[in-house]
Amino acid sequence: MSITALRRLILIGLLLAIGLGLSLASPSFLKLDNLMTLLQEASQTGIVAVGFTLVLITAGIDMSIGAVIAITAMICANFLTYTHIPAFAFIPVALGAGCLVGLFNGFFITRFKLPEFIVTLASRGILAGLALLIAVKDADGFVSNVFIQDPVYLGFGGTVGPFYIITIVFLVLAVLVQFFLKRTRSGTNIYATGANPTAARLSGINTDKTIFAVYMFSGFCASLSSIFLSARMMTAMPEFGIGSEMDVIAAVVIGGTPFTGGIGDIWGTVIGTVFLAMIKNGILKLGISPYIQPIVIGGIIVVVVVVDVWYKGFAERLARNRARRRTAEQDRAAA
Amino acid sequence: MNLTAAKARQLLKDLRLFFVLILLMAVLSVLSPRFLTLGNLSNVLWSVCIIGIMCSGFIYAPITGGIDLSVGSMAALAGIIANVLMNQVGIPWVPALVITLACGMFIGFINGIVTTKFGVPAFIVTMAAKTYLFGIAMLVSNGDMITIMKPKGFLAIGVGKLFGLPIPIYIMVAVIVASHILLKHTVFGRKAIAVGANEVAAKLSGVDPDRTRIMAYVLSATAATVAGIVMASLTQQAYAANAGGYELDVITAVVVGGTSLMGGSGSVAGALIGAVMVGFINNGLNLLNMPSSFHPLVTGVVILLALLLNQGGKMPKFILSMRKRLGDPGK
Amino acid sequence: MAENSDASEEVLLDCRKICKSYNGPMVLSDVDFSMKRGEIHALVGENGAGKSTLIKIITGVTGRNSGTMVFEGKEIGHDHSRTGAQGLGIAVIYQELSLIHGMTVAQNMFLTKEPRMPVLGIINIRRMNSLAQAMIDRYGFNLKATDVIDGLSIGQRQTVEILKALNGKASLMIMDEPTSSLTSAESAQLFGIIRQLKADGISVLYISHRMEEVFDLSDRVTVLRDGRLVEVLEKERIHPNEIIRLMIGRCLDEKDSKCVMERKGGEVVLDVHGLSSEGKFSDISLQLHAGEVLGIGGLVGSGRTELVRAIYGIDAHDSGSISFQGKPWTPGVSQSIRGGFGFVPEERRLQGIMGGISITGNIGITNLDSIAGKGFVSDRKELALSRKAVGLLNIKPAEPSLPVGNLSGGNQQKVVVGKWLIRDLRLLIVDEPTVGIDIGAKEEMYQTIARLASEGVSVILVSSDLPELTRLSDRILVLRKGRIVKEFAEGAVTEEDVLRASSGILEGGAA
Repeated sequence: MSITALRRLILIGLLLAIGLGLSLASPSFLKLDNLMTLLQEASQTGIVAVGFTLVLITAGIDMSIGAVIAITAMICANFLTYTHIPAFAFIPVALGAGCLVGLFNGFFITRFKLPEFIVTLASRGILAGLALLIAVKDADGFVSNVFIQDPVYLGFGGTVGPFYIITIVFLVLAVLVQFFLKRTRSGTNIYATGANPTAARLSGINTDKTIFAVYMFSGFCASLSSIFLSARMMTAMPEFGIGSEMDVIAAVVIGGTPFTGGIGDIWGTVIGTVFLAMIKNGILKLGISPYIQPIVIGGIIVVVVVVDVWYKGFAERLARNRARRRTAEQDRAAA
Repeated sequence: MNLTAAKARQLLKDLRLFFVLILLMAVLSVLSPRFLTLGNLSNVLWSVCIIGIMCSGFIYAPITGGIDLSVGSMAALAGIIANVLMNQVGIPWVPALVITLACGMFIGFINGIVTTKFGVPAFIVTMAAKTYLFGIAMLVSNGDMITIMKPKGFLAIGVGKLFGLPIPIYIMVAVIVASHILLKHTVFGRKAIAVGANEVAAKLSGVDPDRTRIMAYVLSATAATVAGIVMASLTQQAYAANAGGYELDVITAVVVGGTSLMGGSGSVAGALIGAVMVGFINNGLNLLNMPSSFHPLVTGVVILLALLLNQGGKMPKFILSMRKRLGDPGK
Repeated sequence: MAENSDASEEVLLDCRKICKSYNGPMVLSDVDFSMKRGEIHALVGENGAGKSTLIKIITGVTGRNSGTMVFEGKEIGHDHSRTGAQGLGIAVIYQELSLIHGMTVAQNMFLTKEPRMPVLGIINIRRMNSLAQAMIDRYGFNLKATDVIDGLSIGQRQTVEILKALNGKASLMIMDEPTSSLTSAESAQLFGIIRQLKADGISVLYISHRMEEVFDLSDRVTVLRDGRLVEVLEKERIHPNEIIRLMIGRCLDEKDSKCVMERKGGEVVLDVHGLSSEGKFSDISLQLHAGEVLGIGGLVGSGRTELVRAIYGIDAHDSGSISFQGKPWTPGVSQSIRGGFGFVPEERRLQGIMGGISITGNIGITNLDSIAGKGFVSDRKELALSRKAVGLLNIKPAEPSLPVGNLSGGNQQKVVVGKWLIRDLRLLIVDEPTVGIDIGAKEEMYQTIARLASEGVSVILVSSDLPELTRLSDRILVLRKGRIVKEFAEGAVTEEDVLRASSGILEGGAA
């Protein structure tokens, strides 16, 4: 069994164990309502995490996703408050704004070779400011709450059967992107760009174009998630999503996509988001102080990354010993 | 090669920041008559002090080729820890602050260990640290905005005056000078620059890169702790969300001051000027009645611009010509 | 592939009067080179003979100054590029540079050329795997199309590289020192593959220092020396001794090339006994005397660099012992520096200099013990020290505040050497000290090494430059595949002797 498969198996085992523990500790955990809310929470992070996973596979990072959520929410709020343009018409504009942010990030990263994290951190600042700037204000200039009444828009927060629409969208998106990654040339190019950019260029892959594409997709996913968020909350605030990049990073890291690029897939991210959502839900159900949540998220990132490094070193040592034995045998056979 | 001309150019380049600063002041004083008043300038001074103190330690992270995004949370946590120790546990303020500093050093040590020994990108480790430190701060303070009323000795750090000048200024000047000396005149400073410039070459010359980097993160967290203590004393308040976005301000100050984020070079004096500029810009936005939302926006733009100006290599023509006019000989 | 019987006589690539100079000296002058379809052609020459430049020109990595190139009957213009060369069917086998880790063999072979379903451009994985497997089986490789690269040995990875090139419909395959990191079994396998390629009508241009390989495989051999074509040998004339004679060339002038080795009898400074490090070198024993220059020869990848790194204490060794000045010695960089070692690494830009930092800074960092007290550095002492080094080695421009990256290659190297010379040096290790520096700086470097030796400093010199090695060394050890295969200690030695030992031809005749 490959080391990644084994890691995933351990993760699923851990997920089930925590689930079991929670259902024993809190009787309401296994209620359908709670499970569906849990999945809804997971999908909220998950949609963003799908785009983020692609960025991570190219060995990049996107710290601007939280702020993209905020700016998208504000764009929608403006349309809803000041225009009568129907939701299906302005939502593409909002999604386009997310792509535009990706374009901006990709431009500075590829054209000026600036470090990814600082570029996206800067655009995070810019977007967070812009979101406040364009927020719907009252007569005194204070940010006012927008109550969303548009039925089409609110429909995004609805359910189909027991499932929330966002959960279905997340799963469909996950399946599509996983398929895209593994079964199309463009998907393969993403892996190649992250694993070995020089080799990718030698093979004729336009790595700059690939980088542009993944950042744009990451922005798109964040925007998409934002629309579901404001539909669920029935309001839009400029603070939406700010800081949520840590949840996304945690989910993706738990899922097993490393920061070194070239490795990772969407299934891991899906498991990671459910894992994270379950822990958050558990904190709630067990009545632990909600302030512990950031500690858990920050702590998880550090612990998982450290354990992964150790695990990888361990697996590599094993593989090296095996390879050495094989070559020795071959040499003996040849001699 | 004409060395005197090169030296003159270098001097011009060094002074470039000053010109920009003076220009900024001129523009602000024209735009707002309130800018050049004593009251306003001393207002700017508070925020410059906090950012300047943070910069004095933070700068070692980029010099060694890393970054520390946890400084804001660290500062907020420091205020809360100090308050708990002094007013809940009841320890006298001097030992309480010593313990707080030790906590900060410990956090920096952990950041350093995880980045160096496990090869995790510094921005991920410190971003995670920012998150959990914020969580700890919330947990300890129960999410409250705590007003600190005592002890007097502690409050004097922020509001006291010495020879007519506020004490925080002395603290800032002291740590900035110390940091400058550390960078320019000590073995550690040389090692930090060497590790950032070429880790392999440094290693072959007998420098231990991991130990140097760990030390850089310890310094960064320590300076953030000092800043947090001064801030808590100054505002008589401890709150987990204080200094939330300060890491961006600190990065701006350092980058504007000419420190490369790629490692191997840095200037504490430049960072100080950068801190003053960040203070002025924020103050200017307030004076011009700009909404607070402009703050992160402008910071983001300034970081990107400063990085482009610092960086050699591929540049659009207008930036290149701008660099020429600013007297940068380039590489 | 071969439709008619005389395909093997067809000229595939024809280069005429190729000239190239980077800036200044001619690297290639009027070189003619041709390859026939389906032949195995070896290109040999000493380091600096111009082999790699010729390859770079053929593969479009660098341009030529003048001369013509015709490939498959078509003239290749001066706008020849790397991608252009790939399009024409000229492939270079890199050791693992162009493979994508985490992907399977089939994915690597078909990167950007994956077979797709007629709809939606979905990759047909089953078809890709079966096509790949068919190709693997045709050549009888011990590989599965679904193997992931990370789990393969270096030899297998090289096979994948070849498969990838074949899949790109290469008609000329260039292999640059392909066996340098292969085990003997893997090398044997590679030769089998090369013969199969030949049978398929694919030409192979093979560059190697290992004479027995060249001897076994090649249909023709082209010998370059000092940027000029010396001779093209047909199959029947290929003999290791003949090739080496042509490569060296200078041995016509016996006086110049013959150096007399004299064992110097000073006290033993360094005594290495049975030093081994798995996969790098094994059972190395050597003694180094005061004031002696010990040359270490051997091919790239023979374990030379790894050995000196272990002695200096950068990498740990598995077994064996070292004693220094009569006392047992545990290697470690800081300890070595304190004990009076100096180390000038290969690859100056990557390992030697800190380019963005001043000369003073570069020199100061290894001399912190003498310029700093209680943690504080004395700028005055540091500047004085760097001025001393600048004066001692005649570094130009003599301005210690200049960033080292702005200096010429020779002066950069002087800084790397200079930072050790101002110390109380006992032992200096230099690895390829004159690569990429001009003649004048080279000569100064030689004088510096000779002067150090006369002052009683012991020197270990690792070099691929044979004239340099024979001229400077008092004694030469030759490494091959991690072991000492020959010691030239007393009597006359020629470059030819060293080259024979490195290439595995001991005492005449093929190994």
